[in-house]
Amino acid sequence: MGKALRPKGWVLVAYLLPGLLIYSFVVLVPILAALRDSFYSWTGGPKKTYIGMGNYKEILQDDVFWHSFLNNVLMTAYGLIGQVGFGFVFALLLMSKMVKLKGLHRTMSYFPSTLAPVIIAFLWMLVYNYNYGLLNAGLTKLGLGALVQSWLDLTGPIVLLASIPLSWQNIGFFTLLMLAGLSSINKEVLEVAQLDGATGVRKAWYIIIPLAKPTLVVASLLCIANNMRGFEHIYALTGGGPGNSSSVMALYAYETSFLRFRYGYGSALAIAIITLTMLMILLSTLLLQRRNHSKGGA
Amino acid sequence: MELQLELQSQRSPRRFLPNPAKLAVNALLLLFTASCIIPLLWIGYSSLKTQAEFANNILSLPSAPQFSNYWEAIKLTNMLQLSWNSARVTFLSVIGITAIAYVTGYITARLDFKGKRAMIFYYLFGMLVPIHALLVPIYLLFKNWGLADQWYTLIIPYIAFNLSLPIMLVSSYVMGIPREIEEAAAIDGLSFSGTMYRIILPIAIPVLTTVAILQFFSCWNEFSFALVLLNDESLRTVPLGMSYFKSQHSTNYPQLMAGMILSMLPVTIIYFVFSSRIIAGVMAGSVKG
Repeated sequence: MGKALRPKGWVLVAYLLPGLLIYSFVVLVPILAALRDSFYSWTGGPKKTYIGMGNYKEILQDDVFWHSFLNNVLMTAYGLIGQVGFGFVFALLLMSKMVKLKGLHRTMSYFPSTLAPVIIAFLWMLVYNYNYGLLNAGLTKLGLGALVQSWLDLTGPIVLLASIPLSWQNIGFFTLLMLAGLSSINKEVLEVAQLDGATGVRKAWYIIIPLAKPTLVVASLLCIANNMRGFEHIYALTGGGPGNSSSVMALYAYETSFLRFRYGYGSALAIAIITLTMLMILLSTLLLQRRNHSKGGA
Repeated sequence: MELQLELQSQRSPRRFLPNPAKLAVNALLLLFTASCIIPLLWIGYSSLKTQAEFANNILSLPSAPQFSNYWEAIKLTNMLQLSWNSARVTFLSVIGITAIAYVTGYITARLDFKGKRAMIFYYLFGMLVPIHALLVPIYLLFKNWGLADQWYTLIIPYIAFNLSLPIMLVSSYVMGIPREIEEAAAIDGLSFSGTMYRIILPIAIPVLTTVAILQFFSCWNEFSFALVLLNDESLRTVPLGMSYFKSQHSTNYPQLMAGMILSMLPVTIIYFVFSSRIIAGVMAGSVKG
């Protein structure tokens, strides 16, 4: 841009400052405050006792926290299949000439993404309900009455059952994201592939997937970040139950602080969650990018 | 926005009989689309049944629509108060987000300055940071500063946590506007601010509308911060009010469903009015993200 248009330094600062201030107040300041509070034993009153790494040592031995972390990881795995995986398949299908009513599919599949997570959770609570649930009613209609059960009381598959609403809500978003990525692929490459005889599944596997890799990476990272911070769906659907079987990290930190009033420990949990999440994202970035490079070189 | 890219071969012959793959693919997508809508339709018509009727057969249509469920739900949830609280918080947050995103996005698109990369990275960090891990520290911070339980409380986190994507959307949109327009404005003697507000702002209205609609959903639906930062019953937002309604009246399903329908009415209307713009906006945002 020409020199003439450059504003004075203080004008620039004045424009950028409101955003940076409000953002820092809610993102950066709480992280720093949590870091400070994490070294104290504190129940919210005036008395704060410095205990050094005490809270962190406790976290290392806290089975419920690590169980919650595993649930987050499990939800992320389900999310990668259910949201990124299905989203990619639907996007591929939606780009095929065979499919009719594309507009309808795009519009309807994104609609659940616009609803509140709390409402999605209520909706699925009604689907899973023992007496009045859509799922049990459907099973009975299909003559599979033997499978009817109280779904949200199953401790075994509870994380999977809780992940289904999340995937259901987000598939539409990931489908759109993939469609956007796929539509930016150079058409000539696809035409050449076609002339060389690559069609259908082979074209998807050998041509489209490698070219769509950047989009897949972005989608996977978003999906990981979303699932590592999952809170609302679980809070409203199972409350972490039965027992602690569907608890996630953020819910555990919430309960520790607001139900048991352990603010020091809750702050340490917040720091642990941020660290673990960033670590997961960093690791998966490295992993996805390395695979990207080796494929590209082959 | 119409996607024009078609991957299927252009020389595929027309067939008189539908081909099985084609049938299967269409059936699969229809099934999925139906699964996105059927549970909502079920809630919609079930909300018009009596409790006995619902218990008797959960799938049947209502014999006589019971609109009383809706009146009861409005009364019990105090839906008008909830909606007013949500509308006020959402409206002001969306204004704040759009304004900050426009200025910040425009400046990052057009100017180079020291720390610009760091600033962009800092905003991107907000998309990855697990915000729900911050519920506790944010609650403590707001309580210390006397910012909890005020009518404006939620506006602060709602603006802050929704800046990242809008800034990127605006920035990439502005990059697509030819610079000659601003150069002409500068030659005519318009200042930087003048150009930003009087020349580029009108051109950026489409992207700002998209940003505003997408952030409307995000703010209207938000639950966690409302849960943690508000104790005062008179300040509750729609999702928060619904969660208390659910735990207090969990046995009257048709009434709960009526409440759910009411709470999702505004987003549903806005979605179906603006769906093509929203979908185009999400796709534009994803390519950049």
